[in-house]
Amino acid sequence: MYLDLHSHSVSSDDSRATVEQYVKWVQVLRNKRGCTIDGFVLTEHRKFDFDKDYSQLAAEYDVLIMKGSELDTRYGHVLVYGVTEALAKDIDLGDVKMDARELMKAARHHGAIAVPAHPGRFGIGLVDYMEQGETFPGLNMVERLNGGSRAGENERADTLCQEQNYLGTGGSDAHLASHLGACLTSFPTDVRDERQLVEALLAGDFTPVWLKDAK
Amino acid sequence: MPDQNGPFFEDIDMGDEIGPIELVATDENVSTFCELWGNPMPNRFTSQEIAEKSGLPGPIVPGVMSMAIMSQALTDWAGPESLKDLDLVFRQPIPHNKPLLISATVTDTREEDGENIIECDVLMMGEAGERYVGGIAIITLPSSGE
Repeated sequence: MYLDLHSHSVSSDDSRATVEQYVKWVQVLRNKRGCTIDGFVLTEHRKFDFDKDYSQLAAEYDVLIMKGSELDTRYGHVLVYGVTEALAKDIDLGDVKMDARELMKAARHHGAIAVPAHPGRFGIGLVDYMEQGETFPGLNMVERLNGGSRAGENERADTLCQEQNYLGTGGSDAHLASHLGACLTSFPTDVRDERQLVEALLAGDFTPVWLKDAK
Repeated sequence: MPDQNGPFFEDIDMGDEIGPIELVATDENVSTFCELWGNPMPNRFTSQEIAEKSGLPGPIVPGVMSMAIMSQALTDWAGPESLKDLDLVFRQPIPHNKPLLISATVTDTREEDGENIIECDVLMMGEAGERYVGGIAIITLPSSGE
């Protein structure tokens, strides 16, 4: 199945897409462009929307809608899947100076998983920090394909994955409805909720793909 | 039939794309805009030195000018009184003298309070894929039957 692991709704301050617009856009991708997209994860900036329930919308449009976070750290942005109340109590989701290594450790402790986003982004991506000598022991996956990347940034992420033998995910980083699905992650197994998503990522059997290849 | 060259509501569908329209905001364009706008020069939009003091790599295109450019691209397509709302997020400074690509994608069509509404995602990008400005536009279009 094909899932977009990185998107932002109007719950994030810099997005203009509602979740309803996203599910409608999925119908355009499926019915007009012949693409396969089974669902997406709302990775809102510096927060997790515990109070939001999209199950009715998901059922109405037959789209899997999951929730996650994109947190700022001193070593770049990090996507977190499987966020729990315990994790949110343990770390300050809004702390933009947190250490990504501590976040990764806390995420695993609470059954979640933290994946550095757009590591090839010039100036703020993980690649820059690694070039400055920072190390991230235990890290084994990053976002390899990001739909919001400028020329050269996904290539840097690709090189990082090859050199470090990292696994790679794909996500659109959509802030507008029509950007959803630009990049996806292909899983050979079914994922039905956030817990299963974490399991599938930990299993390591997935591939980042461009939308044109999700057919 | 109405006397107009723009599209009709019935011609538009979700997923339709407008553009990209390519243009360049030159030093001269920005100076002219600042003059008309009444923004005293030199300023960070026209002076390399002042821009650098503001932490910018060089003079930038004013946000209100980029909004005007995007508005014009949309009204050139849909007609002069078609644009009802434009809600933009400015994500990166926009440089002078570099190609700017403006595009829109229709994300919804509906009839609302007797009007034919088109909702679009709009984007101003650089040639290397930089997303300078993004947002949504609400446009009204005439019906072919009006």
